Amino acid sequence: MIAAALPRLWALTDDRVIAEGRVADRARLMADAGRAEFAVGLRSTALTDRALMALASQLGGIQVGISGRADIARAAGAAFVLKGRGALPVADLRNVAPSAVVIASAHDAAELDQDADAFLAGAIFEKDGGPGAGLGLIEAAAKTGKPVIAVGGVTPSNAARAIAAGAWGVAAIRALWDAADPPAAVRAFLQALPAAAAVSVTINGQPKRATASATLEQLLAQLSLDPRAVVVEHNREIVRREQLAARRIAEGDALEIVHFVGGG
Amino acid sequence: MQTTTDVFTDTPLVIGGRTFRSRLMVGSGRHRSNELLVRSIDASGADVVTVAVRRVDLDRTKSEGVLYHLDPSRWFLLANTAGCYTAEDAIRYARLARAAGFNEFIKLEVIGDEKTLLPDTAGLLEATKVLVKEGFVVMAYTNEDLITALRLEDAGAAAVMPLASPIGSGLGLLNPYHVRTIKSRLTVPVIVDAGVGTASDACLVMEQGVDGILMNTAIAEARDPVAMAHAMKLATESGRAAYLAGRMPKREIAVPSSPTQGML
Repeated sequence: MIAAALPRLWALTDDRVIAEGRVADRARLMADAGRAEFAVGLRSTALTDRALMALASQLGGIQVGISGRADIARAAGAAFVLKGRGALPVADLRNVAPSAVVIASAHDAAELDQDADAFLAGAIFEKDGGPGAGLGLIEAAAKTGKPVIAVGGVTPSNAARAIAAGAWGVAAIRALWDAADPPAAVRAFLQALPAAAAVSVTINGQPKRATASATLEQLLAQLSLDPRAVVVEHNREIVRREQLAARRIAEGDALEIVHFVGGG
Repeated sequence: MQTTTDVFTDTPLVIGGRTFRSRLMVGSGRHRSNELLVRSIDASGADVVTVAVRRVDLDRTKSEGVLYHLDPSRWFLLANTAGCYTAEDAIRYARLARAAGFNEFIKLEVIGDEKTLLPDTAGLLEATKVLVKEGFVVMAYTNEDLITALRLEDAGAAAVMPLASPIGSGLGLLNPYHVRTIKSRLTVPVIVDAGVGTASDACLVMEQGVDGILMNTAIAEARDPVAMAHAMKLATESGRAAYLAGRMPKREIAVPSSPTQGML
């Protein structure tokens, strides 16, 4: 997927947040403040399938990712599947929910070797009260060309550092759900994310938002397209494969991405 | 037992300096499944397979181009400019096709009319000149008009491809006289492209002495495409062999084939 279509601020749940109740009410207040930039990541080890499905259904109108459960994501119409460590491989999740965007957790660089649409990288700043993996994990994840969401001790005050390291967005549990005023926390986070990280481009005739100054190679990776199987025309100029990593997109660019199909 | 290769010798088909084994070329469009596509190409014995250039489908990024089914090391992929209505568009598609990195060949089509898909010969000639100058090996799809064929050869086309009848019509060889005339006047190979419906059509085309034949729909839309591909292979070989053998003259009187002498 193109990063710009991915929400930049994720409120992740855990069992404690869900046990506190009123998840849907609190999520709606935050979603009203964050709009298209905001999404809820539902993670639970305690809920029954039916209770998880019911909770997802209560979040209608809010962008939602379901952790580990492509079946429930599909049934609830959730656009995202979060793939944690114990979950099925990405390919299996896609088989169950073909249209869902799969965001795979990457706890270390070794876990970046997954064919996911995006990565949830962390813990970056803090893990169980101790130090996290650090910004290097974001940098490594960003090198895949896939959008990266940073998680683990992220607050409005350190979010900009995660973005500077290459993250597209951030995810938080306590800094959002435990905030005295969650909608205010959402606004504080979004203000901390540097603006204008996206540009408007036209790809194959369709208007799209794309990550500002992404290389064409990164853009193809975000679209899950194999550079060897396509040809890219950038503002009417054909880009040779060797140039894909060097050419960057800018506001207003027109791209055509073509391949061979059956023909006579 | 002798095979046909033992009883007659044929010169190889050479286009743009490249030698091809089979005089039958096939398209890869309109097939009911990728499996039938590959099996029928196999059965046809063709080594040239045409493909079209189209936008990738961004909303179904898991959908596959034809390269996932056609091994480019096994078949010679001949890209076409099907669907282009101006010289400018055809040139753009040809350049995109070449950037895919397989070869310099292009099956150049500039269509002039949606209903008949007959070629715009002025646009075709213009595009041929530009592409030849850029180093393309141009195989020009045209009608059965001698003067256009001569102009295309003058413009540097590596092969001229007159139609048997309109694309996808299955009407067979409508104008054998004109096709024969073109063949007799041109130095570059003449490949009849489009319009054959069944094996006898292919045989009749090859009996005119042309260098090869290209077809798509006659195979793809047959009830059994694999069996039809096999029939087309035999018909192409048969028509070629009959042409080389030299047919008997036509007479409007009967001539007995058994001796008239020695009757009781």
